[in-house]
Amino acid sequence: MKLIDYLRIWLACARYSVVRTMMFRFDFIMWALVEFVWMAVNLLLIQVVYDHTDSIAGWSKYEMLLLVGSSMIVQRLIMGFVWTNLFEMARNIRTGHFDFFLAQPGNPLVMVSTRKIDLDGLANVIVAIAVVLFAINKLGLVPSLGELVLYALMIGCGVLINYSILLITVSLTFWLGAAQGIEGSYFTLMEFSRLPRQAFKGVASILFVWFLPAVVVSNVPANTLIHGFSPLNALWLLAVTLIWTTFAIYVFNAGLRRYASASS
Amino acid sequence: MSFAKYRHAFLIGLQSNIVYRWNFGIRALFSLFHLAFVFILWGAAYAGQTHIGGFDLNQTLTYFIVILVMQFFIGAFNEDYQISEDIRNGLINQFLLKPINYYLYRFSIFVAARLVSGLLALLPILIALPLLKDHIVLPDELWRVTLGLPAMIMAALIQFTIAYIFGLLTFWFLEIQSFIILSLAIETVLGGQMFPLDLMPVWFYRISQWLPYYYQMYFPTAIFTGRIDEASALSGLAIQSFWVVALLLIAQLLWTRGLRRHTAVGG
Repeated sequence: MKLIDYLRIWLACARYSVVRTMMFRFDFIMWALVEFVWMAVNLLLIQVVYDHTDSIAGWSKYEMLLLVGSSMIVQRLIMGFVWTNLFEMARNIRTGHFDFFLAQPGNPLVMVSTRKIDLDGLANVIVAIAVVLFAINKLGLVPSLGELVLYALMIGCGVLINYSILLITVSLTFWLGAAQGIEGSYFTLMEFSRLPRQAFKGVASILFVWFLPAVVVSNVPANTLIHGFSPLNALWLLAVTLIWTTFAIYVFNAGLRRYASASS
Repeated sequence: MSFAKYRHAFLIGLQSNIVYRWNFGIRALFSLFHLAFVFILWGAAYAGQTHIGGFDLNQTLTYFIVILVMQFFIGAFNEDYQISEDIRNGLINQFLLKPINYYLYRFSIFVAARLVSGLLALLPILIALPLLKDHIVLPDELWRVTLGLPAMIMAALIQFTIAYIFGLLTFWFLEIQSFIILSLAIETVLGGQMFPLDLMPVWFYRISQWLPYYYQMYFPTAIFTGRIDEASALSGLAIQSFWVVALLLIAQLLWTRGLRRHTAVGG
């Protein structure tokens, strides 16, 4: 299959998702509201902490808002484009419905990852972007077009990294079977992307800054807007993206070889 | 009325929850990571100052450790969902025919589940204790235990009854999952799980004291960790008892109203 074919299938799936969402409008509004309120809760935490302090690891309130906003954009994009697909993948591996994807004439990973789109997640991408714009405005930053493009590309890298982590955790189902709740580890890990890199010390720094890609996904794009482009940081992000994406695809394929379907 | 049947429900709940020991264990392990997030965030916020809101870093960290233990001992996990499923699948019909109170039946299972999840949550905390113990500072006044324990029991009642009420909404709505998660966000803030409520502006704190959420997590934790004094604890217990009774009445009302709408199908 050519790239254009995948794109055509994805567009058809997207159209189907939109139609489906419009059929259950109340659900759409409720879930968009749920995500929105949770984002507000996280912003409230920043407000409360900064009511009592001027800086967290050298980051001012609006710099922190820019950081958290960046992390939110990445997470909302993940929720909008892949979360449901990967969540259902874990369930399908357990039940054997995963066969359905293997029987399709395309790359199983692409087929599995692009089946559905969640409009409520995507609706909140706009809210997350608004948070970032608000922070930029409050900080008096005037990013150049180049910096904005770089920022967008870095957010793209962040999405790929998040996707890889999620894919690895979900692929563990191939080995663990009924280990429900394993997807929760993704959210636990990504909580750390809302913290500035400088706050991590000792073991925490080794684990979350260097070993696991939690901090890099939000800190590098936010830093680009606040302090300008740093080639070293960009290289770091790019390397992390390549390493984790490759590793995730490897784990998925290894899992695929283990998949033995389910009875009947 | 015999309580033997609820004792059996409790024992069955104990067994069925031990089956899920790995789920609880994994969940408890993840919450240790959340604790790490809390330690890093607040550790950085305290840099350059010894006190925030009148409490030092270790007092604040102790608050979050106790909140974590509380969540596993008294927090409602998916009771709302289970009740909702009972109603949707018609499993509830069997309780209408038998001399058993559905609330007490569910509550017995809830107590069993929290006993299992609470003890399992202690394991990762015990493993992490060498790292945590320097940060744990608990006041040693006796009244904090004698008032804290009833506050904790009533908090468990409030937690469960709110979950029960949400579960009963299934009589009216087909899908309640979004309501539950929305309410969870409110509980997370107003129950003091996101940050100690006393760090909020005074007017906000005063309002929250009149809401049930304050009493489902923050209140017992604040008593144990020294964030409120004896007089506030006593008046708090009075408001908490009011909420227990009020929520039980609401639950009963929804149950009788809901059953009127309920149609039992099949056999």
